[in-house]
Amino acid sequence: MFVGAVFFPLLGACVSGFLGRWLGDRVAMWSTVFFMALAAICGLLAFWQVALSGQPQTVVLFTWMQVGELSFSWSLRYDTLAAVMVGMVTLISTLIHLYSVGYMSHDATPSRFFAYLSLFTFMMLMLVTADNLVQLFFGWEGVGLASYLLIGYWYEKDSANAAAMKAFIVNRVGDLFFMLGMALTFFTFGSLEFDAIFGAVQDHVNDVFLGIPSLELIGVLLFLGACGKSAQLGLHTWLPDAMEGPTPVSALIHAATMVTAGVFLICRMSPVMEFAPVALAIVTVVGASTALFAATIGCVQNDIKRIIAYSTCSQLGYMFFAAGVGLYQAAMFHLFTHAFFKALLFLGAGSVIHAMSDEQDIRKMGGIWKKIPVTYAVMWIGSLALAGIPFFAGYYSKDAILEGAVAAGTGVGMYAFVCGAVAAFLTAFYSWRLLILTFHGKPRADHHTMEHVHESPLVMLVPLLLLSVGAITTGFVFAPYFIGDAATAFWNGAIYNLPAKDMMEALHHAPHWVPTLAKTVAISGILLAILIYGFLPHIPGRVAAAAPGPYRFLLNKWYFDELYDRIFVQPARRLAVQLWQVGDARIIDGMPNGAAALAAGASRGTVRLQTGKVASYAFAMIIGLVVFVTLFLTGR
Amino acid sequence: MIAGLAFYFFAFILIAAAVMVVTARNPVHSVIWLIAAFFNAAALFLIAGAEFLAMILVIVYVGAVAVLFLFVVMMLDVDFAQLREGVQRYAPIGAVVGGILFLELLLVLSVWRFAPDAAALRMAPMPEGVTNTEAIGRILYTDHIYLFQISGLILLVAMIGAIVLTLRDRPGTKRQDVGAQIARSSAVAMARPELGEGIRREDILRPLPPPAKEAPKPVTHEGGHH
Amino acid sequence: MNWTLALPELVLALSGLAILVAGVLPRRDMTFPCTMMVLGAFLLSGAFVLTQPDGMGFGGQYISDAFARFMKVLVLAGAALALLLALDWNRAEGLSRFEYPVLVLFATLGMMVMISANDLMSLYLGLELLSLPLYVMAAFHRDNARSSEAGLKYFVLGALSSGLMLYGMSLVYGFAGTTNFAQLAQVLGGTAPISAGVVVGIVFIITGLCFKVAAVPFHMWTPDVYEGAPTSVVAYFATATKVGAIAAIVRVLAGPFGGAVDQWQQVIVLASIASMILGAFAAIGQTNIKRLMAYSWISHTGFVLMGLAVGTEAGLRGVLIYTPIYLMMSLGAFSVLVAMRRNGHAVENIQDLAGLGRTDPAMALGMAIFMFAMAGIPPLSGFFAKLYVLLPAVEAGFWLMAVVAVLSSVVSAYYYLRVVKVMYFDASTGALDARPSGVSFVLAGTGLFTMFFFLMPAPLLAAARQAVAALIG
Repeated sequence: MFVGAVFFPLLGACVSGFLGRWLGDRVAMWSTVFFMALAAICGLLAFWQVALSGQPQTVVLFTWMQVGELSFSWSLRYDTLAAVMVGMVTLISTLIHLYSVGYMSHDATPSRFFAYLSLFTFMMLMLVTADNLVQLFFGWEGVGLASYLLIGYWYEKDSANAAAMKAFIVNRVGDLFFMLGMALTFFTFGSLEFDAIFGAVQDHVNDVFLGIPSLELIGVLLFLGACGKSAQLGLHTWLPDAMEGPTPVSALIHAATMVTAGVFLICRMSPVMEFAPVALAIVTVVGASTALFAATIGCVQNDIKRIIAYSTCSQLGYMFFAAGVGLYQAAMFHLFTHAFFKALLFLGAGSVIHAMSDEQDIRKMGGIWKKIPVTYAVMWIGSLALAGIPFFAGYYSKDAILEGAVAAGTGVGMYAFVCGAVAAFLTAFYSWRLLILTFHGKPRADHHTMEHVHESPLVMLVPLLLLSVGAITTGFVFAPYFIGDAATAFWNGAIYNLPAKDMMEALHHAPHWVPTLAKTVAISGILLAILIYGFLPHIPGRVAAAAPGPYRFLLNKWYFDELYDRIFVQPARRLAVQLWQVGDARIIDGMPNGAAALAAGASRGTVRLQTGKVASYAFAMIIGLVVFVTLFLTGR
Repeated sequence: MIAGLAFYFFAFILIAAAVMVVTARNPVHSVIWLIAAFFNAAALFLIAGAEFLAMILVIVYVGAVAVLFLFVVMMLDVDFAQLREGVQRYAPIGAVVGGILFLELLLVLSVWRFAPDAAALRMAPMPEGVTNTEAIGRILYTDHIYLFQISGLILLVAMIGAIVLTLRDRPGTKRQDVGAQIARSSAVAMARPELGEGIRREDILRPLPPPAKEAPKPVTHEGGHH
Repeated sequence: MNWTLALPELVLALSGLAILVAGVLPRRDMTFPCTMMVLGAFLLSGAFVLTQPDGMGFGGQYISDAFARFMKVLVLAGAALALLLALDWNRAEGLSRFEYPVLVLFATLGMMVMISANDLMSLYLGLELLSLPLYVMAAFHRDNARSSEAGLKYFVLGALSSGLMLYGMSLVYGFAGTTNFAQLAQVLGGTAPISAGVVVGIVFIITGLCFKVAAVPFHMWTPDVYEGAPTSVVAYFATATKVGAIAAIVRVLAGPFGGAVDQWQQVIVLASIASMILGAFAAIGQTNIKRLMAYSWISHTGFVLMGLAVGTEAGLRGVLIYTPIYLMMSLGAFSVLVAMRRNGHAVENIQDLAGLGRTDPAMALGMAIFMFAMAGIPPLSGFFAKLYVLLPAVEAGFWLMAVVAVLSSVVSAYYYLRVVKVMYFDASTGALDARPSGVSFVLAGTGLFTMFFFLMPAPLLAAARQAVAALIG
């Protein structure tokens, strides 16, 4: 069962990838769905047994490698943290596989798509069940690869290729930090096994590396690694571009699972992070800033998927600052609920796009709610959950996070709370802006498109409905386990909190005005959006015209791409040009240009020795022999 | 004393002959010098008490190998002017490199020391009560049977190689075909001529000519090189 | 005289003779049956190798230990697969002659003798038994001037190197008083200073062995022979014989001359660095893919020698891990080279692979895997191979060598990736002919190994550790 949950997707990927051509597309598609469903059953059973019945396990598969004293084995670590992720990933992945059967029905090579999708799921499961940092890194790289393949799935599109490259490169930056963090961990603890690390944390609290406490440095490096994967401020630029991939991919990878790997990593490393207060403060500040920053951008974007992408970015910020203040449980809870409603929103958006004949610009939609009522309804549910309206899933987790930020009672906690509250307002605002612009008002699409607006097939609607059930229920069903009274038994030691600062306890003593405030800002955001976009549709244009500076600032995503272009890309290119010109003109005077040509020159030189004459070869051998003998006799 | 003098005499001739092998202008002369070198080496073996080896050297190397060399060299058409040109061009560097190597080897040989029991071994080159040939036989076929067998395989491979690289079935080569000879049915038949008449020319029975091929192929491809 | 110890060699030799007779007597083409029989002989011999006990035979001239078994299995596997590749190629080129598998068999036997050598004499004879068939095979396409030239060049240079080696052995014998490895190790392992004569002898022997593994500056024959000789033959040269050569140099340097490691270390370091640099740079300008593979091998030699130069247990283990991984990558790459035919004619320019990504995606994928692996890109097997020789070098403080290794693998990545680029991004100049089933078999097997080695490296590592333990003692 434990092994099955992880390896059924791989089996599915192999079947679809290698036998796809032979089986035919339909069989390949459905076989992956079948294997994913098996995995989901196993995953849910595992969740039941590990998390709810409290029986964590570690399944050792086999020894992987031994390099000197470094020894790794492949093993699956099933504690509550992993079980939550496994259950969630397999379930959502199954739904998304099912949805994709409908969504990708017109594609040319669906078996390739499904193979990638299953491969991704396998890698993600490898990541979350890892028992050591190396295996985690394997999964980490694996999901990166799968994500790259899937973003660039439509490789004929230049924009898709560019987006895939961008995602890959930005993730490499994060991975670099991750690897440094891993190296430092090994340097400090002498092991990369989680058990060994966690057991030895106490002994290494006072270790110092380059004048900085080792644990702090490890925490910061791992967080920077997590930033890359989870699109936090600074390394977030790839995520919106990643929406070039097919929509199910966006839902699975760039909303529900892969981007949350960073949060998972921080929670997994909680025993280390707890001893690194400065690193946690950095996590909090960056997370809070991301939450706010991404929400502001979300308010002015026009691409339906990009709005949701920025919203994802923003919600990830919430999770990070929850972890930063020490509320890993709340972070995981938000991760869990978010997976459902964000996947729902993305799939709903996909359904809209499908209906609108692949139109993604919300300015060209409108007035379609009667034609696609199911999609409309599920989008409402998703938005309500996202905005944190009571009794929907997001309400419980987001409230807990905001309360925790206040209850932490620190400066960064307050900063996080303020950012979080403002972001909550903005979240509600842009969600309803999206809803109203997409579904209400006069149709702004051309006549031809409007005629073709149709509800999606059943195979796409079923996952939507199931996910909306999740978006409604996961909150109040699981709140007691994740953050409520049953939490201690539920987590069963998978997450470590310093006894000195018991955040779970503090959570219950948060001021009462916090939830009220949260509800108020969310509802006022909704009302404002309805007011502006529903009844006074000319206002937004006027506001944009009145304040062109801020508007353009937001529309251009705070000029992050331009900034990076200016700071990194351009100077690098200029430097290269400089080196090339100077090196060409002055340093390697007379040599053909560039390092490559230098290599080519060296190559020509060595090849010239290769005359083809036996005598000169023999002569070279004798010379070599003489050199060797001389070296021997003189070197003695 | 006499043995010592003889050793130096033959050794000197051997070295001189070896130098002549390399320096002689005419390759035929080279081979003849080589034969001279073999003879002298055989003489050295004799002085060392290894008569069997000495005889083998003369029989195999002089009698077979060197003569074969001689034939090959005389049949080959080698352009000596071209060869010499290459030698002259590389001679200076070659001399320098060779000189260094030679000096180094001299240096190495200068540290040569005889083992304390070397003199005793030299006086008794073989076990008591065994002839020279027998001693070699023991070493070759008993102690070193493994190496001997491998050497045999090497020779076999050399033979295979020579056949593979040179043997060709040329079209038109005449070969004996035993099977066809035996199976031939229309042999010359006996005739009984009338007494006093002798046999007429037409009566001589000959094997029937093979039936003509019905449709000879326009151009047969004679590609049977192998 | 426990001659049964050498059962694998005996079986191979006797079946070689039997197959020769079976090939000569019938008056029809026996290439295919002979090839199959040789494959069977390899299989049988391999089975005997696996069940071989430890021990010495023939008065200490033959040794059977874990190292020998490890290497023999590799050699037999490499030879069998290379023979499989040769079958179709030789038929297509009109080289179908039953002597070919027999020559392969005897060359393989030579390698096994070499690997099991415990005496300078048996080492030398094994080397000769290996070399002689190779010279013949290089010239196997005798109507092709380039093939004949390759054979001749190889023969002349090989004879020179054999001569040097034999001279070195005589020096070692003269100054150390024995040719037996165990006794040599005893003599050299003592506290007494090692005589200059022995040392120079070792250099001469190293020269001969370096010629076999094609280390700079004794590499000159490699590109010419690779280019001239028939591709099927080169597939054998580049795979099985390399394993044999590595085994010989490791056996000799780590075994009897292990005590003199300080003496030969710098020579091997020099050869290693020179090989890595030359292999990386000279390959850049090549257009012929066989020449490219030759330089690629020279660069790999540098890596192998790096592990050897370190001389520690970890370094030698790195070499033993490098060898099978290289064997698999190289076999795979050559299976593609052997399949490079267009309209019935063999083609061997890199540009002829253009558009393979579309015309034969499976083969292109395989080739891409091998190229990536040779460039040492994780998680393919080639990465681990390089890692396992690089780590000991760094640990032992051979910084210069390690830096050169990393830089040269960066440079070499350029030409490996160029092949991939040509396959996937250049316009096709016409599809290659359909690949024969033997090629598909080898391609799939080696491809899977190269791709998924990282999942289960443990058995190989354990075998390598055992082999090294047997070697060092």
